[in-house]
Amino acid sequence: MITLSEYFMTILITCMIVNLGLALYGVFFKPNLIKKIIALTILGDTANTFALIIGYRMWVAGVPSRPPVFTEWRSNNPLLLFVFTKTAVDPLPQALVLTAIVIGLAVTLFLVFLTLQAWKIYRSVDMRDIRRLKG
Amino acid sequence: MSYGEAVLLGITALAAIFSTIATYMAIMERDLLKAVIFSAIQSTIYAFIYYMLMAPDIDLVYIPVAVGLYPAVIIALIKKTTREEKP
Repeated sequence: MITLSEYFMTILITCMIVNLGLALYGVFFKPNLIKKIIALTILGDTANTFALIIGYRMWVAGVPSRPPVFTEWRSNNPLLLFVFTKTAVDPLPQALVLTAIVIGLAVTLFLVFLTLQAWKIYRSVDMRDIRRLKG
Repeated sequence: MSYGEAVLLGITALAAIFSTIATYMAIMERDLLKAVIFSAIQSTIYAFIYYMLMAPDIDLVYIPVAVGLYPAVIIALIKKTTREEKP
């Protein structure tokens, strides 16, 4: 018997898979270089969302899951730490996503300047024109 | 059985459906400026999804980068090159 939470989680994952397919279509089959860059940013964001979905923790017995930020570290109560480890989501995918977002920004800036250079040389950002000019 | 998680994940799933619509319009739009704006809408919805997936520290980085910097850089590129995508 599937619960309501699992049903909504399935909808979320299905939408992300559709987004991934659309972004891959944009990267592979759209001839315009700017459109390829836009699709690539969407592709990277969707991959990051998959990583976050893997690290997400469902609620345990009605207790809400919480962000992996431990704020009660000043009190020496070990029970608080126990509850935190039982309810917080996984912080490792979040750290990886944080790095991936910044790397994606650098890659996108590089591709933007590459496209600008292609425009200066060929006067076109369309792959079909560029392919015809230089074989 | 608690319905709190179902409500939160339902809102997240609704946002995911809207993000799919925004992605489709961003990929299929011929006017590149409109495509960038649809991409920014998609990024905003993604930021909301990240928040609902208990990652508020990702949002601190993601919102300036994906809603602010990406569209600004690509709009500058469109201004220097061409706005219309050839069919």
